[in-house]
Amino acid sequence: MFRNSYDSDNTTFSPQGKLFQVEYALEAVKQGSAAIGLRSKTHAVLLTLKRSTGELATYQKKLIRIDDHVGVAIAGLTSDARVLSNFMRQQAMRSRMTFGRAIPVGRIVQSIADRAQTNTQEYGRRPYGVGFLVIGEDETGPHLYEFSPSGTAFEYYAHSIGARSQSAKTYLEKNFENFEDAPLAELINHGLSALHDTLQQDKSLSLHNTSIAIIGPPDAAIENLGQSAAAKRGNFRVWENQGVEELLKAWRRSRGEPEDGPQEEAAQPPAAEQAQSAEGSENAPAGAPAGGEDVTMEEQ
Amino acid sequence: MMSQHPATWGQPTPANSSFNQFNTFPLPQTQRGQSSHAHHGPVGHTQQPLVTGTSVLGLKYDGGVMIAADNLASYGSLARFRDIQRLHPLGQHTLLGVAGDMSDFQWLKKELDALLREEDALALTDSHPSLSPKNIYELLSNLFYARRSKMNPVWNAVLVGGWDKVKKESFLAYVDLLGTTYTAPTLATGFGAHLAQPLLREAYEAKAGIDGNGPLLTKEEAEKVLEDCMKVLFYRDARSLNKYQIATITSEGVDISDSKSADTYWKFAEGLRGYGAQTQ
Amino acid sequence: MTSIGTGYDLSVSTYSPDGRLFQVEYAGKAVEAAGVAIGLRCSDGIVLGVERLLHSKLLVKGANRRIASLDEHIGIASAGLLADGKHLARRGREEASSFRENYNSPVSVQILSDRISAYLQAYTCYGSVRPFGLSSIIGGVDKTGPKLFCIEPSGVYYGYRAVASGKGKALAKTELEKIVNKYLDAEQSGQGAGLTCREAVDEVARIIYLVHDDNKDKDFELEMTWICQESGNKHRPVPDDLLKSAEEKAKAALEEGMEED
Repeated sequence: MFRNSYDSDNTTFSPQGKLFQVEYALEAVKQGSAAIGLRSKTHAVLLTLKRSTGELATYQKKLIRIDDHVGVAIAGLTSDARVLSNFMRQQAMRSRMTFGRAIPVGRIVQSIADRAQTNTQEYGRRPYGVGFLVIGEDETGPHLYEFSPSGTAFEYYAHSIGARSQSAKTYLEKNFENFEDAPLAELINHGLSALHDTLQQDKSLSLHNTSIAIIGPPDAAIENLGQSAAAKRGNFRVWENQGVEELLKAWRRSRGEPEDGPQEEAAQPPAAEQAQSAEGSENAPAGAPAGGEDVTMEEQ
Repeated sequence: MMSQHPATWGQPTPANSSFNQFNTFPLPQTQRGQSSHAHHGPVGHTQQPLVTGTSVLGLKYDGGVMIAADNLASYGSLARFRDIQRLHPLGQHTLLGVAGDMSDFQWLKKELDALLREEDALALTDSHPSLSPKNIYELLSNLFYARRSKMNPVWNAVLVGGWDKVKKESFLAYVDLLGTTYTAPTLATGFGAHLAQPLLREAYEAKAGIDGNGPLLTKEEAEKVLEDCMKVLFYRDARSLNKYQIATITSEGVDISDSKSADTYWKFAEGLRGYGAQTQ
Repeated sequence: MTSIGTGYDLSVSTYSPDGRLFQVEYAGKAVEAAGVAIGLRCSDGIVLGVERLLHSKLLVKGANRRIASLDEHIGIASAGLLADGKHLARRGREEASSFRENYNSPVSVQILSDRISAYLQAYTCYGSVRPFGLSSIIGGVDKTGPKLFCIEPSGVYYGYRAVASGKGKALAKTELEKIVNKYLDAEQSGQGAGLTCREAVDEVARIIYLVHDDNKDKDFELEMTWICQESGNKHRPVPDDLLKSAEEKAKAALEEGMEED
């Protein structure tokens, strides 16, 4: 039944000192669709590729606001993500309540990493099956962290997780030295280019499958400030559906492509139009994976 | 019920309030932890402070904030401990000046020192600056209010002085055992609120104006005003001592002076009954 | 390895017929893959250093530190599973803080190491947990002077003048022995004082550069902390300028060594 005798529970080391259950949990992250994160010295940005389980289904959201100054992108088991992001919200609130201080980003990420570590060391648990990219801004400036089921949290200039994220990583590694001084619009374009590289051949980025989150001062040229008070204050905000259209157009222009994108993208499932509220995306269709993964198995 | 106003701390109990309405004093037991509902015996809460410190004064000036407190811890009306420091630094840019129960103050110091030590240890890993004066004040406000809501107050009145590194300005605020909080450019606890506060305001407003828009006192001026106030307090507050320290908090950090005394004049007292030679 | 497939190596609560706890030994294997960690006890303090292997070039420079503080005067450098290292450091901080709470006095390095080792040992006793995949170097300065300990996954710990763990610890230990012997000889013959922290910073940097295998290993960043008079007797990062110059010297020494070969 098992691949070897050391991979059936999380508290067993292999003779090489590996924890197979943890490594398998890392595979669960790769099943989720891609998420990209990158930062400059003024901004931090997340970009995600949403999937829908079928024509009648909405696109699963992958961006979660934690607090004004922190937000995450997820890849992997959505239900695990909800448990962890809920915990992060509690930590963030606790800091604001007791100290009147926005929780330091590194510390809130470490708090879930510590929880995840416990799940790799105690029998009867399983490691979390979700990876996070966390962006945030605190007294030390903008940050981007990766959280993974192994219980580690690393800080990055730019990073990608989820399905086909290696292609995005290749793009980011080639370009990350330009990110530090890049203005917001340019940072987003880099992110979209990286996200684009995770797509399958016949797919393209559209206002239905792309969502972008930003932390940092707003840029009125590309953001509709009338739509978002959070943007005006430089807080965590998400642009998706109609809201992401201008950002996509600007990106396509920067690549010398027609700004309306490939034609077949014009015809979209009508259900996607309704995916405005958080509640809307919770209505999982019949036949959707019970665990609530942000994946459809066909796409693997 | 016994008045909880700082001015009554250490005062003899008036004859007409020889019992309190809760009938809980004296108490055979003290409460441990949160388990008050677990045992059904009497519950012990602090009913009155025992060893107390008197006034603390605070004053904003050009470039920082000063806090002054004397070195006395009284046991009732007895001047019991005469070398107690009531100014406590927390990290680089915060200082507490504490009046009221000295054992609660010692407990508070230990808790806050432990908290800041942990912040310091974490800073090696994530390089995040430690708690600001504002953060510490927020914590104290929540703590004092939570404890008074459990009818078990932390029996102190505290001035928090500090330097806000982000806003580049001084910080001064008050919190007491009831969870009452306020902030002003000049502050005083206990007797000082009656005797020193008007003098501090007068000096502050003479330069800065009522709206505080004018220039602030210089360091030397601020020190002079505080010394005057400490002298007045020594003359008129029977729980005070002519031995005090002044802390200065600026962008450079916290500096606490050695103990010093004001020059006082007692000639006039010789004619007073009970002080000099008996005249009658 | 003869243990494999026997079934005696699946749980930490099972001995093999010859009295070994294989799960504890396997935990030790996790340590061998990690970047080297070094601790050096000097006459005037403690120096800790790690080779921070970078698994991606997108990692923020100077971030993701591996050495942690347990108290003002004590640091910990772990080699092994990173997440386990964070767990242990947090536990160590709680122990140090609880000691202060109880005794109103800073914990000694010996007592803290003892308590941490007891915690590690507990994770080798039960089938419901796994041991820590860690070898942890704990260094600090207390009222008895500079002290250095290293705790293994089994919970066993010893005091050291100098110690290394992680990948390439054998080579590092050989180098450390040379240094310790040199200064010990000098001290005993009355020809010189002991090793100072400033000197140790250069030595630790040199050894980490020497141990690092450019061909096989990923890139790395040098991370060092110390506790000495210069750091106010607190556990602090070695100042940037000192670290830089130590790195320069280490690189120069490495090239010199290559020419000799």
